[in-house]
Amino acid sequence: MKTLIIDRELIVSEKDLDDALSELELTLLESDVALPATDAIISSVEKNLVGRHRKIGESVDHLVVHALKAALLDVLGQGFDLKAYIAKHERPVKILFTGVNGTGKTTTVAKIGSWLRKEGFTVVIGAGDTYRAGAIEQIAVHAERLGIRVIQHQEGADPSAVLFDTVEYAKAHKIDVVLADTAGRFHNKANLMSQLEKIKRVMKPDLVVYVDEAVAGNDAVTRAFEFDRTVGADAVVLTKADMDSRGGAAISIAHTIGKPLMFLGVGQAYDDIMPFEPATVVEELLEGGA
Amino acid sequence: MLDNLSSSLKDALKKLAGKTVVDRAAVDDLVKDLQRALISSDVNVKLVMELSKAIRTRSLEEEPPKGMNVREHVLRIVYQELVRLVWASTEVKLEPQTILMAGLQGSGKTTTTAKLARYFQKKGMKVGVICADTFRPGAFDQISTLCTKINVPCFGNPQEKDALKITREGLAALKEQELIIVDTQGRHALEAELIKEIIDLNVLTKATHRWLVIDAALGQQASEQAKRFHEAIGIDGVIITKMDGTAKGGGAMSAVAETKSGIAFIGSGETIEDLERFDPDGFISRLLGMGDLKALVERA
Ligand SMILES: Nc1nc2c(ncn2[C@@H]2O[C@H](COP(=O)(O)OP(=O)(O)OP(=O)(O)O)[C@@H](O)[C@H]2O)c(=O)[nH]1
Ligand SMILES: Nc1nc2c(ncn2[C@@H]2O[C@H](COP(=O)(O)OP(=O)(O)OP(=O)(O)O)[C@@H](O)[C@H]2O)c(=O)[nH]1
Ligand SMILES: [Mg+2]
Ligand SMILES: [Mg+2]
Repeated sequence: MKTLIIDRELIVSEKDLDDALSELELTLLESDVALPATDAIISSVEKNLVGRHRKIGESVDHLVVHALKAALLDVLGQGFDLKAYIAKHERPVKILFTGVNGTGKTTTVAKIGSWLRKEGFTVVIGAGDTYRAGAIEQIAVHAERLGIRVIQHQEGADPSAVLFDTVEYAKAHKIDVVLADTAGRFHNKANLMSQLEKIKRVMKPDLVVYVDEAVAGNDAVTRAFEFDRTVGADAVVLTKADMDSRGGAAISIAHTIGKPLMFLGVGQAYDDIMPFEPATVVEELLEGGA
Repeated sequence: MLDNLSSSLKDALKKLAGKTVVDRAAVDDLVKDLQRALISSDVNVKLVMELSKAIRTRSLEEEPPKGMNVREHVLRIVYQELVRLVWASTEVKLEPQTILMAGLQGSGKTTTTAKLARYFQKKGMKVGVICADTFRPGAFDQISTLCTKINVPCFGNPQEKDALKITREGLAALKEQELIIVDTQGRHALEAELIKEIIDLNVLTKATHRWLVIDAALGQQASEQAKRFHEAIGIDGVIITKMDGTAKGGGAMSAVAETKSGIAFIGSGETIEDLERFDPDGFISRLLGMGDLKALVERA
């Protein structure tokens, strides 16, 4: 006689999902995933799951967490392999760093310079922040410590000219990579944004890297959107990930501009930089709630 | 998208406008929209829950004052609860004092140090600055350049690695000044040695004020970071920087709640003059993405 065991299935309803989803919604918000990004992600997970079949014994929570992880990984994409990019491109590869005030652009330029050197590339840095007090000294000290050549003009000089000279230097000396620092600026200041557009026209970067910090809240969405819209962004670096944050800003930014994340900054030392790994970030993010 | 949000808050308020009896469902709607507005301004999620619970309870339990419709009644409670949180506007006295600056990396301490020096100088005080940041490359260049512009003496030594030693020497060198501001390096709560350093600096300087400088864009970490700084040195005022961007400063508001302090100043630009005293009404209106809430409440 055949035992009648049918693998029974239930159909997932909106109501089944409610509790699990609102809990995860809170987890995302508490991890600094901006509200619009959270809304979009949660509703896509819901849409995805409603009407699906689930096996008896498979918990809704499990189903939801699984789907959310997949959704987050989808938002984050694959990351950005800088080494592979440089290998494929004509030298010098020119990288322009942008972002709002104090996010860690200058430190990131130094860290990436150090990282590239270890990977066997030659590097020159352009001191493109001619505005903020102490900015030229700051990048010059970093460069000196790292033994990297820095091209600088006076405080108050035209940043486009400095960075143009940096590119010319790189061409003349067959340098692999140009790292161009810029002054921090807010996306709602038209004159500063058009200065950045001019820099871009003059130095013609291969990559525009947008730098923001992991501890930023909802504004991460607004400013990433505006920087991407005006000067463009090809990749993102997220700094200060060592500040105990769960790094929801990564999701906010990736969801908003859909550009790959390149590095995470995890401290103030030159080695405190890690190639971005989406899976690790997603794990961190959901640690609190899943 | 934020505009949608505040307009949904306004819609929720509209629903209450014609009512004379408090309608539970309409209040719930409003509370939900309020929560979303506050969360998208980076107010700590737990704090938002507490706040909205208090607002809901009061709205439902308290009798609207005579002549006040339900909308005005609820709005008044929202306003009161928010103002209560940021109310303790830190008193700024024009007397001899030492101010210790504290905060996360890149929050705006050095820039704000120069702005404060300028502020007090304009009020007629003799101001001096000590650069106790021995870590960041160019830190002394940065603050001394700013101080030179306004003719304020700035003590520091880029060669010296001991922040306490510099500060001790600085206090002696600047003893003619009435007001001393000590700029410190950026640090965060998990950096135990640096937290210890600022505790030592606080003891050494016998600081009159310990102001926590917070970036307007700081998110959910603000509460926890503020709590740890507060435990270490007793924060008695918060300064919100970069309010000239688009961030709303909800993180700083959470920091105020955590430290039971007030907001001393607002930074609103990169130049030395871009410093304002805190105005709770403007701040709250911006936080909620609504026009002048106080006017609305007063009209009520
Ligand atoms: N904890 C931590 N601090 C960092 C990190 N990256 C940068 N910082 C610190 O953040 C502060 C600001 O960094 P900068 O590199 O000067 O930032 P910036 O974007 O160039 O600033 P502006 O040019 O003024 O706009 C410095 O004290 C850095 O040491 C990081 O990954 N972790
Ligand atoms: N637009 C704007 N920029 C500001 C404001 N306050 C500070 N900044 C900028 O923010 C960046 C960081 O400011 P700093 O004063 O160097 O910050 P900090 O806290 O001293 O940084 P560390 O010493 O590295 O921790 C600089 O580019 C400043 O010009 C402000 O209110 N508005
Ligand atoms: Mg910089
Ligand atoms: Mg500083």
